[in-house]
Amino acid sequence: MDEYIPTERGAGWSQDQRAELWLVCIVVGLLIAMLVFVLHAAWPSFSHNGLGWFGTGGRVDGQIQAIFTSGDLKSTPLYVFHAWPLIWSTALITGVAVVIAFGSSLFVAVFIVEFAPDWLRGVLEPVVRLLASVPSVIYGLLGVLILVPLIGNHLITQQEKASVNPTVQLSGYGLLAAILVLTIMVAPIMIAVFVNGLRAVPRNWIEGSLALGINRWRTFWMVAVRTARPALVAGTVLATARALGESVMLSMLSGGVGFAPNPADGLIFLFEPSRGLASTILFNTDELSSPPMQHTLYAIAAVLLFSAVMLSFAGWAAKQPMKRYGVIA
Amino acid sequence: MRSSKKVLAALTAVVVVLGAPAAAIARTTIFGSGSSAEQPILNLLFKAYSKLHKNIAFAYNPDGGNAGVKDVQKGRSALAVNTRPPLPSDSGTTQFKIFLDGLCVAVNPANSLGNLTISQTKNIFLGLTTAWNSVGGSNLSATIDPIGRNSTAGSYTFFQSAVLGGKTQASNVNPQTSDGLVATAIKNDSNAIGYVGLAHSQPGSGVKTVSLNGVACNQTTIKRETYPLFRYIWAVVPTAHPSVPVEKFIDWVRVNHQAGLIISRAGAVPAFNK
Repeated sequence: MDEYIPTERGAGWSQDQRAELWLVCIVVGLLIAMLVFVLHAAWPSFSHNGLGWFGTGGRVDGQIQAIFTSGDLKSTPLYVFHAWPLIWSTALITGVAVVIAFGSSLFVAVFIVEFAPDWLRGVLEPVVRLLASVPSVIYGLLGVLILVPLIGNHLITQQEKASVNPTVQLSGYGLLAAILVLTIMVAPIMIAVFVNGLRAVPRNWIEGSLALGINRWRTFWMVAVRTARPALVAGTVLATARALGESVMLSMLSGGVGFAPNPADGLIFLFEPSRGLASTILFNTDELSSPPMQHTLYAIAAVLLFSAVMLSFAGWAAKQPMKRYGVIA
Repeated sequence: MRSSKKVLAALTAVVVVLGAPAAAIARTTIFGSGSSAEQPILNLLFKAYSKLHKNIAFAYNPDGGNAGVKDVQKGRSALAVNTRPPLPSDSGTTQFKIFLDGLCVAVNPANSLGNLTISQTKNIFLGLTTAWNSVGGSNLSATIDPIGRNSTAGSYTFFQSAVLGGKTQASNVNPQTSDGLVATAIKNDSNAIGYVGLAHSQPGSGVKTVSLNGVACNQTTIKRETYPLFRYIWAVVPTAHPSVPVEKFIDWVRVNHQAGLIISRAGAVPAFNK
């Protein structure tokens, strides 16, 4: 735990402090410049649609095509865009994947830190770190070659396919494949951070609890995991940020059509295709040559960037009340 | 301090050694951009041409055909490659047909379908025909899984104007970001149908091409221009001050015998090569 030690103010700023100040200014300045640039480029799309930008209405893929082609014609550019299916897809896939990953990662981390024998720990930890750094396109390829055909040919029945056919296609590319693979992608990040947090819990707190006769499981749950909560928040924020920005793997697995899967459809809902915000940018980078399309893509980028900033703030805010008795993360 | 200087010196030495071969001969680098679908073929052509002319190197940015034309108009590229005929908005550029390519309609080998008409294909991709038993000639009866390309792909634009009559493909079409992913999706799903470039429908790709209006999709029918979905690939250069090495390269691609062999090996169709 490093604490901030105030130096004598009267003596003025030391050279180190000045350098630090510059560094902070440059980093914050870059961040603000990026935000301003993206928001500026996105403004026409937001100002034309107002809050309707975030709402439903029409077919989003048709709107994207109309926006793109209006850039080539000499007429007034079109901006009509209702991004709800894309927002819903990102929220749904990210949310479900992070929730599943959080539950399983917590158990795995507790197991690695407290219950695993040394030799197993020595294998598990490097494997988790390696998994956390596997490029997402590899997960995408494995998903396309293995998971998607498995789901499409064995889990989806002909009746289910026919029931939604004129609207969307159920062939394995959809929520289930996307959520499963995204969970596998973000869980190692969580496990790595959780393990570090759990390990930073002062040993004598745990020993104290055990000495009072409380069993090992309960001690770990009520003392160690509770103390490590800031690390749990930090790991979740990191993993959510990665899930939010994931584009390559999702564009390969979630199905490329702008459609909002409907939970009211029952089990079929899990097989329905959708396309998130980040994949939409990836799908349409070729269309950057059209000015209205450029503004629209920047608007999507702005929403993603804003979500990422809000996510960091939420993580920071959630950690405040836990700080007092928690480990630093 | 001293050791860090040594490391720096060693790094500099490594960089100099690695950089040396590039600096040894004065090279002209041709900057090109445009179609990503034609990039595999272009890369082979670039490589062969650089072998013949040691002083010419290429840098190609696959930013899409339309973007490539803009690059040439703005002077950012000396050469662009596009998969559609010239448009009035391409002012200031001169365009040459360089070779031919075809868009094949392909199904899973488990499907006995041998032939489709253009209007049947259109109905499938507009979501009007949704089951294989309403398509004559197929042994399947299940729901059709149409696979398409994302709306920015040149193949999509071409398919849209040549087959769909300018309409947008239906929402039950599963859009993929590359021809390879389309072929993979068709290979893994016996009810699938999709459209891919000729290079992606070779025997090894695991998909089966079907005839369109009774004409098979292969190099011969595309060269004779009898297959309905053939298209020319165009080279785009600035009308004012075109670069001489670029013009020489385009001539070589168009007429040279060896270039023709490379084009046909890569899965496209030579149009004018001897």
